[in-house]
Amino acid sequence: MNIATSTILLSLAALMALAGPATAASQHNGRCLSCHGQKSIAEKGERFYVNPAKFAGTTHAVIGCPACHDKVSANHPYDGAIPSKATCKECHAPVQAEYSRSFHGTKAACADCHNPHEVKTPVSVSGDEMNSHCARCHDAKKTIQSHSKWLPQADLHIDAMPCITCHTGSKNYVITMFIENRNTGEKHSEFKIATHEELSRLLPGNRALKSLIDRNGDGLISLKELRNFNADARSKDMRLWGMMTPEVVTHSYQIMENRWDCTFCHASGPQAMQTSYVSFPEKDGSYTRVAVEKGAILDILYGTPDFYMLGSTRSTPLNIIGALILVGGLMMPVGHGTFRFLTRKNRKEH
Amino acid sequence: MEHKEYIYLTPMPVRIWHWLNALGIVTLCVTGLQIRFPEYVNFFGTYKAAIRLHNTAGVTVSVSYALWLFYYLFVSGSLAKLYIPTIEDIKSGLFRQAFFYFFSYFLGRPNPHHSTPDNKFNPLQKAAYLMIMMVLLPLVIISGFLLMYVAPLRELILLIGGIKTLVSAHFLIACCFNAFLFVHIYLATLGHTPLAHFKPMWDGWEELEEQHH
Repeated sequence: MNIATSTILLSLAALMALAGPATAASQHNGRCLSCHGQKSIAEKGERFYVNPAKFAGTTHAVIGCPACHDKVSANHPYDGAIPSKATCKECHAPVQAEYSRSFHGTKAACADCHNPHEVKTPVSVSGDEMNSHCARCHDAKKTIQSHSKWLPQADLHIDAMPCITCHTGSKNYVITMFIENRNTGEKHSEFKIATHEELSRLLPGNRALKSLIDRNGDGLISLKELRNFNADARSKDMRLWGMMTPEVVTHSYQIMENRWDCTFCHASGPQAMQTSYVSFPEKDGSYTRVAVEKGAILDILYGTPDFYMLGSTRSTPLNIIGALILVGGLMMPVGHGTFRFLTRKNRKEH
Repeated sequence: MEHKEYIYLTPMPVRIWHWLNALGIVTLCVTGLQIRFPEYVNFFGTYKAAIRLHNTAGVTVSVSYALWLFYYLFVSGSLAKLYIPTIEDIKSGLFRQAFFYFFSYFLGRPNPHHSTPDNKFNPLQKAAYLMIMMVLLPLVIISGFLLMYVAPLRELILLIGGIKTLVSAHFLIACCFNAFLFVHIYLATLGHTPLAHFKPMWDGWEELEEQHH
C-alpha cells in the first residue's frame, strides 16, 4: 500500500467516524418519522405528529430521536408501553436552573413555550413568532392595556419588539427587518410576515429568497439594494417591518428595572443603530438573516421607510438641514440687528 | 402740545390665543429638542415626561388653532381681509415693505404701513402669517397627530410614504417654526419704540407714533 492510498483510506475512515453518529441518528429519525411524520397520526393526538421539515432544522434532529426517547422497544407501538421521554434539564441544566429561579418558572414548563421537535435559535425565529408563544397565555389586548398605563403607544411597542427584549436579561440588540405582505386587492388588510411560499412565487426558478433584495448575491444588502426593494415593494403590497430583537436570550424572565426608562432604547444614539439584518423565511419556518450595510437604518427616506425609533434613528443630514433653517432664522436678528445698531443715529435724527 | 393716541388693535380672544400658542410652541420646541436628542438634552427628567408634555402642548396648540380659525372665520369674519394679501400687496406692497425693512429703515424713514384694526398686518406679515397659519401649522398638527397614533393610523402613514417621511416633515416644519420665532420676536422690536408692538399683544392697545401739533 503506497502513502497516497493509505492517506485516502485514513481520511475516509475519519470522515466516517464523524458522520457515523449523524448517519445513525438520521436512520433512527427516518424510522420514527415514517409514522410520526405522517399527518394522519395527529388523529390519535396532536402530540404524536412531528413535522419532518421543521424537525430536520433542529439540533435535536442531529442527536436523533433515541437520545430523548431511549426506551422504545422493537415492538413499538404494539407493545402497549409508553416510550420514555427525557427531561430538558438532563441536557439544559443551567438554563433550567436559571428559568426555575425566575418568576415565570412556576407558571409554565419548557414545552409550553418550546416544541422540542421545532426548536430554533433566537436569530432564526421571527419577532412575531416569539410573541405568539407569549400570547398563548398573555392575551394580546390585555397586554397592550396593561402596558398602556405607563408606556406611550404600547400597541406600537408590542408590534415592534418581542416581549423578551424587555423581559429577559438580553443585552445585545439588533434591528431585524422582515418582509411583510398583504392580500393583493385588499388594500386595507393587515400586513403579515410573508411566508417562504409567498415570496418564492415572486422569483423565477429556484433562486434563493435573499436575491429579492440582495440582487448581486454578495451576502450583504447594500443601501442601494434596500432602496431598490423599497421602491418596488409598495406596488407589490409589501413592506419591510423592523423589530428590535435580542441576539442572545436568557431565561431569567423578569421586569428589567432599566427598561422602565425609555432612554434605554431611545437614547442609544445613531451608533447603536448601525447593525441591522433582513430575515428571510425558510421552507421549514425558520429564518435566515442577511446583514445590511451599516447605517442603512439611519437613511432619511429610502433605507427603511417604515422603521423609525425616536431619538435613536435620527438622521444626521436631516439634523444639519434643520440647523441651517435655524441659522437662517437667526440671520435676521443678527444681521439686521447689526445694521440697526450701526445706523441708530439716522433714526434719532428723524 | 404733545399727546399720545391709542388704537384698540388686538381683541382679547386673539391675545389669549396668541399667548397660549406662544407658550405651546416654545414648549413644543424645547420638548422636541429632548425627544430628538435625548442623550444630550434632558430638561424634563425623563424621556417619557418630555413626550407626554410634547403631546399635551401639541393638543393644546391644535385646539387653540381650531378656536382661532373658528373665531376669524365665523365670529369676526375677518380672516380673508387680515391675512390674504391683496393684488396691490403682491404687485408693490411686498417690495415696498421689504425695501423699508432692508434699506429705508436704516436711513430712519417711517414705516410705510400703519396698523389699523381692519388692516393690522403689512404685506410681508400677511404673506408670512398666511404661510404659517394655513400651510405650516396645519401640516405640523396633522403630522404630529399621525405620530401620536402610529399603529392605528399606519395605513395613512404608508400613504404618505412611511414614518420616516412623516418624521422628517414634522422635524423640518418644527425647525421652520423655531426659525420664524427668532424673526418674529426680532421684528416685533422694530416699532417706533422697541416695545411698541409688544404692548397691544398684552393689553390690546397700540400707542400711535407721537403726533406734533
